[in-house]
Amino acid sequence: MSNLICLFLIFSCSFLTAQNCDAFLFFKDTLQYEACKLAEKRRGHYQFSREYQEALDEAIAKCDYFSDAYRHKSVAYLKSGDFLTWKKLIDKAVELDPAEHLGYRGWCRYQFFRDYQGAIKDIERLDSLIDYEIGFSANGDYHLHIARAVCYKALGHKEKAIQIIEDQLANDDHLVGLYDYLHLGVLYLETDQLEEAKAALMRQAEENNLAENQFYLGLVYKKMGQSKAYRDCLQKAKALYVEGKKMFDPYNSPMDKIYLQQIEMELDSGQEN
Amino acid sequence: MMKRTFLFAGLIFLTTACLKERSENSAYLRWVGDIEQDSQLDDPDFKVCSEKNAIQYFNFSEGLPYVGEKYAIEKEFEEQYDSSVAAMESGLVRIRFMVNCEGKSGRFRILGMNFNYEEKQFDDSIMQQLITITRSLGGWKVMPNEKYPKDYYQYLIFKIQDGQIIEILP
Repeated sequence: MSNLICLFLIFSCSFLTAQNCDAFLFFKDTLQYEACKLAEKRRGHYQFSREYQEALDEAIAKCDYFSDAYRHKSVAYLKSGDFLTWKKLIDKAVELDPAEHLGYRGWCRYQFFRDYQGAIKDIERLDSLIDYEIGFSANGDYHLHIARAVCYKALGHKEKAIQIIEDQLANDDHLVGLYDYLHLGVLYLETDQLEEAKAALMRQAEENNLAENQFYLGLVYKKMGQSKAYRDCLQKAKALYVEGKKMFDPYNSPMDKIYLQQIEMELDSGQEN
Repeated sequence: MMKRTFLFAGLIFLTTACLKERSENSAYLRWVGDIEQDSQLDDPDFKVCSEKNAIQYFNFSEGLPYVGEKYAIEKEFEEQYDSSVAAMESGLVRIRFMVNCEGKSGRFRILGMNFNYEEKQFDDSIMQQLITITRSLGGWKVMPNEKYPKDYYQYLIFKIQDGQIIEILP
């Protein structure tokens, strides 16, 4: 049953993200319009399937500057871990329409290949190209500036990462993402700013209470020497984890994710102390 | 009745022939990333339940379907991979494979690149270790459950820096 639901979602998404081909007519670009209509033949087919790929090949044969076709073709390669084919296809899309595809490529570089430098480069280039909001990750979980921040963190630039997240959260127009305060709290913890870490992780609990924020809050209390609060947080973390309230991405493990075994090991070590 | 049977048989033959032709003329397999059995490379004892119904690991929406999750896989590589004997090479290695309806893995295929997304063949001192440890992983789950097991495609990506594994994905 779960597979049926999953496939339903996949097919539904392909409809939801369908382009309005008529937009190309508005700009009197009949070639892209025709390519766009050919690309619509992929509807109802799974993005990994031969039929899906062939519909997009037809669209490209009709109009080799129809950038969306390259991007849509690239997705199956991305999700199967074929970084070589994915990169060739998505590079073509970016070359044709950088403002449209740079944010997506940058996010995917991070999400699927942990290419932190490449992701930062793409997101910052996008930011320099446009004068409007740069938007969110493909899965909607991250604002691209938050994604850029976690990439800086991975490269060891923790203070810069903190600054980016603080600036973004201070923006009145920012929609809080699923893990914004969690990442900020962990960064504060890692840089020994314990009061700030505590506040951020408690804010994460208000926004989206997860095993991870309780786990890291426990570590904050541990560093503060508050052993009861530390153990309580770990117990909460374990309960949340078992309930399924934890960081999740169907394709990859998100940064700062923790696992049940880590919570249990920490609980064991807490009992020994 | 006999005429109808022949007509039906003829229709099936034509349909099959058309499908076969379409498949043979296509640059694609059934799905991107499908791995066909290769008698030169693959363990003949590795069998799948239903080739045409094999899906991707993420279709189950349960993350990495491994007992102990990714943490357990990372531990295996931490314990078994010896970077002191590995060549000082860097880049990404993907090992893609199938997990059958019994939770056994097979049909391993390798892809490598440097950090500029250019194809790269890694030294045997790295590859032999990665493939041996990956083959030995025994915790792949039967998905979605024991009652309705499916074959699925899985991959592991190793981010290598100077011969050391610095990250494992997905």
